[in-house]
Amino acid sequence: MESQWLKLRVNGKERQLFVRPNALLLNVLRDELGLMGAKYGCGLGECAACTVLVNGRNMLACLILAVTMEGAEITTVEGMGDYDRLHPLQQSFLDNGAVQCGFCTPGMLLTAQALLEKNPDPSEEEIRDYLRGNLCRCTGYAAIVQAVKEVKHPA
Amino acid sequence: MEFQVIGKILQRKDGVAKVCGQETYASDVVVPHMLYGVTLRSPYPHAQVLRVDTSAAEAMGAVCVTPDAPCIPNLIYNERTVSIPEKTYCDRRVLPLRARHVGEAIVGVAAETEELAFKAMQAVKVEYKVLPAVLDLDEAMAEGAQALYDNIYLGDQKLTVKNNVACERIITVGDPEAAFAGADYIAEQEYELPRVYHHQMETKTAVCRPDPNGGITVWATTQTIHNIRILLGRIYGLPLSKVNVKKLAIGGSFGSSIQMNSIIPICVALALKAKRPVKMASSREDDLHSHTKFPARIKLKIGVKKDGRVVAADMLAQVDIGAHQINAFPLLGCMAGWYASLYKWGDFRFEGRTIYTNKVPACAMQGYGNPQVNFAVESLMDLIATECGFDPIEFRLKNYVGIGDEFWGQGPSVKSIIKSCGVEEMLQKGAELIGWADRRPHEEKTGRYRRGIGVARGFHTSGTGGPKPGEVVDYSSATVKINEDGTVDVMTPVMDLGGGTGEAAVKVAAEVLNVPYDRVDLSLVDTKTTGYDVCTHATRGVYCGCGAVYHVARQVKQKLFEYAGRILEELPRDLELEYDAKKDVTIVYVRGFKQKNITIDEVARLAQIYSWGTIAATDSLRQKNCPPCFVAHFLEVEVDTWTGVVRVPRAVLLSDTGTPINPDMVAGQLIGSLSRGLGYALYEETEHDRETGRLKCNGFITDDKIPTTCEMPRLDDIQVYFAHTYEPTGPFGAKGIGEAALNSVASALNNSLYNAIGIRFYRIPITPERVLAALEGSGRDGN
Repeated sequence: MESQWLKLRVNGKERQLFVRPNALLLNVLRDELGLMGAKYGCGLGECAACTVLVNGRNMLACLILAVTMEGAEITTVEGMGDYDRLHPLQQSFLDNGAVQCGFCTPGMLLTAQALLEKNPDPSEEEIRDYLRGNLCRCTGYAAIVQAVKEVKHPA
Repeated sequence: MEFQVIGKILQRKDGVAKVCGQETYASDVVVPHMLYGVTLRSPYPHAQVLRVDTSAAEAMGAVCVTPDAPCIPNLIYNERTVSIPEKTYCDRRVLPLRARHVGEAIVGVAAETEELAFKAMQAVKVEYKVLPAVLDLDEAMAEGAQALYDNIYLGDQKLTVKNNVACERIITVGDPEAAFAGADYIAEQEYELPRVYHHQMETKTAVCRPDPNGGITVWATTQTIHNIRILLGRIYGLPLSKVNVKKLAIGGSFGSSIQMNSIIPICVALALKAKRPVKMASSREDDLHSHTKFPARIKLKIGVKKDGRVVAADMLAQVDIGAHQINAFPLLGCMAGWYASLYKWGDFRFEGRTIYTNKVPACAMQGYGNPQVNFAVESLMDLIATECGFDPIEFRLKNYVGIGDEFWGQGPSVKSIIKSCGVEEMLQKGAELIGWADRRPHEEKTGRYRRGIGVARGFHTSGTGGPKPGEVVDYSSATVKINEDGTVDVMTPVMDLGGGTGEAAVKVAAEVLNVPYDRVDLSLVDTKTTGYDVCTHATRGVYCGCGAVYHVARQVKQKLFEYAGRILEELPRDLELEYDAKKDVTIVYVRGFKQKNITIDEVARLAQIYSWGTIAATDSLRQKNCPPCFVAHFLEVEVDTWTGVVRVPRAVLLSDTGTPINPDMVAGQLIGSLSRGLGYALYEETEHDRETGRLKCNGFITDDKIPTTCEMPRLDDIQVYFAHTYEPTGPFGAKGIGEAALNSVASALNNSLYNAIGIRFYRIPITPERVLAALEGSGRDGN
């Protein structure tokens, strides 16, 4: 299998990568770009720890062949905010005790961001329904749901 | 008691890194020039490995380690080294000469890329002699059953295994037979608890780098960096000064990494052979095949008097531990202890037996036998209350083990006297919050959806310390140092599994030294830079781990007073410490003469300039108690009698954790445990196919569902309550919470089901199929 050139934007930066056709987006992000925020939890689309935004939509990076991302705009958790400029959702997760082991956190944050893009003021049911594919074993989800509900939108 | 930082809700120290994707887990570790490692796993539940041919894999450039390779030491060990050696049963090799469960790793393969490693692994040929598999607990114990082991070791002592019985424990207190004879009512039931997968979000990972000094550096998914160091040193004959294990974040654990995960020594073997770093990250399928929660079959008999006093009990526990002993022997002791410490049985007996089968090896998972024992005891206590017409809450209050009573924190060898207890407060408050007084009997409930309310109570130990050292090693170490600007570094080897042990350590140091939380930080540490800590297990992180931080921070405070005394020309014993919020400084002042003071920043700065030395201390502490942290669960369930689906519309979660150091995290533990408890009670089971020995879920999460956002009660329908207690032996009055939070969830759910539909279940998970079968069955019996 011949590697091929791939051009895409990751967290606002244009990237050109030489990838094998069977390379998964998750592995390219982690191994080629050093973006470790997207996590491997199952590799089969069962847990959503690998969630990234592809053109604003939450998608599972473990199920996407990198070569299909030509021209796409990818956002990983590293692109959401930085330690001195946290995204309101990241701040809300911290304020509401929504982080325990933290392994599901990046995927949760990006899924929640996708929800808020579509529906800036979701009800608790809508939040629960939207996040149901993102598994968390630590928190029992309450603090996470609360964090999404109470996010303070930037003025 | 008024505290400066203890009990305040403050942002966790690793929080920003975690929400920014910057926290490093073992799976994120990348070492220059590293290879990727994978394992070839047995397709058979029981088979002798006759020959392994790795030539095709090696021709592809791979490095392989096989069971018969000279680099695999012929050492039989136990991957869990929490117990003292003479109480540790050993049956495991780095790579086995005989596969004893489907998915047991047989060959390790490393190559330049993960893809090449997988391809090379597929090119390895293993010739097996398939042996009859033992896949049922009763069949395993039957005369003439296929044996999994001829011999195992207890410490250095060689033992013969009979009827696949791995180990057993029989404990009798008083004369239970006579006590039963004097009882007015005797209830007896058998309960069955399933194998359940930990389902921590991060799969187990190991990275090993051979170092130029002949040693190794290891980054691994673990709850104990020091026990990995010692065990790897022993297996590979390395001096402990040349084994360094790094402390990292862990993506959940729930007990799955108390032992050194099986892939770690395989990864080390590959790295030593290749003379290059190797990273081995388990696939989810591999992970599901590595460990499971202890299942249990528990037969319980309780005798009571007419006045509601329990007078006798008898428990027979049989545990199908699968292919290896990880902590089966201490498990039996602990199960006996949980049972002995729930109610004042008077005279009682415990008989426990663990049995080898060709299944995934079972290990601790949140509660370590406690949820299993609690389910039996709390379900049967509820049944007795109904049968004898006792109020379930009054009945429990009359008989619980509380203040001044003896608590078996870790089986018969580790006991302490209970000094703090919030059981009564929790049961009364819980009853009020759930509306116990308005509870209607199940007979009055009709229609498709039926609701019920139930209660159960439980506890867990905080650590495994006792007045005298027992079968379990328990102590922690810490280093605390005041920097030259008055900020503080805390070095602790105690792993934070996500529950906030790290914040607790910081808060304890900050409180002792009266320094604001944001001026205290946790250091990145490893086994070379810290003293020993046994493990973050047994709900000991705060009580024991932070107990050591408390102990050391007080020594630092003393040193601070000595240096401040030199500057102020006062005796250290006349000095006091205080945080001045107005000026935002911590001052050392002369007692009774506050105007004479100096900031700790200034003391630290001068100590450096005058070359007096760093204001720091390192020490270890063994806690000499193991106080129980109590919980109570009041749940409301709703049963759809058409589909058998059970929902939990409302939950009241109560805990007695002493002083809650991180109240938000204690609540998080309680609510997280509610979700794991619901999974345990209603959905999860990782059983094996009786014919093939394979996991029925084949290692897929999809076929072993855990609760999602949608199975949990709504935010407004979960209430959390902390009892007002203070543990005199804990740091600032704190006890543990972690495992306790889970222990009575499934029992409370079972008891609420009875109140909803009049059926008691004796086996979990209580799946819709089982609910429907019970509803349709004539016996109204949910077994």
